[in-house]
Amino acid sequence: MKVYHQTGANYNWNFESFSKGIGEGIIFSPLNMEATKLTQLSPSVRQSGFLDPQVYLFDNRNEKISSYPYSPSNFTSPFNTTDLSNFGTQLAQFCVDFQVENEFQYVVIPTRYYQTIPTDYFDKMEASFVEPFIDYAIKSSLDKAILLTVIVKQSMVINDESRDNLLNWITKHQGISGVYLIFENEFTTKQIKDFRYIFGALQIIHFLKQNELEVHVGYSNTESFVYSIAMPDSIAMGGYENLRSFKIKRFEKNEEKGHINSPNARVYSSRLLQWIDYSFVDAMRERGVNLDYYFERTEYRDIFFAPEFKWHFTKPPLYKHYFSIFNKQMKLLPVNQSDRMQAVAKSINEAIEAFDSLTSVVIFDPNSDGSHLPHWLNAINSFKTLIT
Amino acid sequence: MASLFDACRDIIPMDSGNQKTVFSARHSLFGKVVIKKGQVDNPDSLERIKREVDILKMIRSNYYPKQHDFLVMGNDFEIMEEFIEGNPLRKVMNQFQNVNSIFTLLHQLVNGLSVIWDKKIVHRDLKPDNIIIKPNGAPVVIDLGIARKLDATSLTHSFPVWGPCTPAYASPEQLANKKSEISLRSDFFCLGIIALELYLGVHPFDPSVVENNDNIINNISNGKYASQTATKFHPAMTELAKHTLQAQPYKRFPKHQSFQSFLKKYI
Repeated sequence: MKVYHQTGANYNWNFESFSKGIGEGIIFSPLNMEATKLTQLSPSVRQSGFLDPQVYLFDNRNEKISSYPYSPSNFTSPFNTTDLSNFGTQLAQFCVDFQVENEFQYVVIPTRYYQTIPTDYFDKMEASFVEPFIDYAIKSSLDKAILLTVIVKQSMVINDESRDNLLNWITKHQGISGVYLIFENEFTTKQIKDFRYIFGALQIIHFLKQNELEVHVGYSNTESFVYSIAMPDSIAMGGYENLRSFKIKRFEKNEEKGHINSPNARVYSSRLLQWIDYSFVDAMRERGVNLDYYFERTEYRDIFFAPEFKWHFTKPPLYKHYFSIFNKQMKLLPVNQSDRMQAVAKSINEAIEAFDSLTSVVIFDPNSDGSHLPHWLNAINSFKTLIT
Repeated sequence: MASLFDACRDIIPMDSGNQKTVFSARHSLFGKVVIKKGQVDNPDSLERIKREVDILKMIRSNYYPKQHDFLVMGNDFEIMEEFIEGNPLRKVMNQFQNVNSIFTLLHQLVNGLSVIWDKKIVHRDLKPDNIIIKPNGAPVVIDLGIARKLDATSLTHSFPVWGPCTPAYASPEQLANKKSEISLRSDFFCLGIIALELYLGVHPFDPSVVENNDNIINNISNGKYASQTATKFHPAMTELAKHTLQAQPYKRFPKHQSFQSFLKKYI
């Protein structure tokens, strides 16, 4: 299983980590990088990963996205909703050509974001994206693997019938090699504390794999540690929260114009399987907790654990530390599925025990505690039953 | 008025029904032929027949009859195609009762059907009556009349209750007329029924083997089938059923290549 960097505003942090051998490749974000800048990256960087074309919103006027030749805002004739196939044909040609010319690992079929899924959703996806892209791939004798981008709404994950419909639709396509799977995150909590959701997501990954498709899970947070048991081909790790969970608002505003609600700085603990608010890290230190046990040592940890460090969520060491230890955590997972399920369950059990012993010393709030872990464990047990 | 029968002799009626009458005849150039003659009752029917002819014309395969000629006169149509010597599978089912012979037949059928599947065409009406077994044992698939090219505009409207098919051999998505879910995996389902029917000697969704009081159609829709009886059991057939008769298409074989790989393990 590969680990890709989900890039965003501070992609240089990812590039730096990648250059140090952390992660296998990059998922490129047009929202944050002009086309010319992307095309000037070294071929080996481009070849390591793939493009997230990000045409989620057709009327997006973001300058950076518009710098890409396939951006709908550049089409000569204005987009006409009644002529989806013509739109799709233009989009397919420009988008495939761009990805081929830039030698990405895959050619990615983009998708459109819908707040509410229309009744003819699959027909629309077919006409605007899948058919024109597959047709163009055949016409241009494309010899690269094709990934289909799919935004998975919460209802598609937890509702059996919606999940079946989604899986039937994705798997009927014979011309794609895999799926770039994006689980939309509508939770208000920082971790997913919903057994049905995690179990549903595991089923989606599992059945896509059963259908001999590559599965690349984008925009995921710590839960990708659990998703790993369904054997996806890759998971992604991102810096800021908006790269670890997919919310369309990232594309509706200019994220570089500052954060209205700045979150607290957090540090990832691979032992606790949680991002811990820095104020609780301070409390742990004050209470004499052995921080080395919970926060693995990296060159970055030494920076943010130094007394003079000014905690702020924009500080790069917090994320470079995460890239380093999360990547290592994923790489240590067994290759065999049964062993992996056992190893992940063991880690979660150990994290639950670790929280139990810590709570006698420090009280955490619901966004830093281990309240997500029992849900994850239950999902793993149900998944184990499903596949055996 | 010109007719394809004009160049033929020894014209013998063979079968009738489903909008057409079928004759065997001897053509001066093509030898023994089949002529299908019928009337279209609406433009969709004509479109469907034209589609059958187009499909057969673009296929060069021993698994399908060769297409010789096609004529439309007002509401009447005539199709002339190669006469296939042999018997419908329905009449020779007793020749395919052991796992090896069933899997060999399936292997040939999947091989033959992969030609149309690769062209995004789904047969959608596979049943023992639409498979001719030639004297050498090779199968030929006939009657692509309701085959649907997946990227062509669908001829099936949201009515009737189910799309065009033979209900007892149709997949759940055909019965539910879920057009967007119809794919080669719908044909896999039909092949699964045929294979299990050959093996068990009874339709796998028949209430007598499912052991309920429902009917075949409801059992198909509800995913209730039997892959064994008190006297018949083979793990390969159970495995085949598991990968073809699932109500949800995504739980069946994903590709014809994976279907073939599975069959090869037992041949």
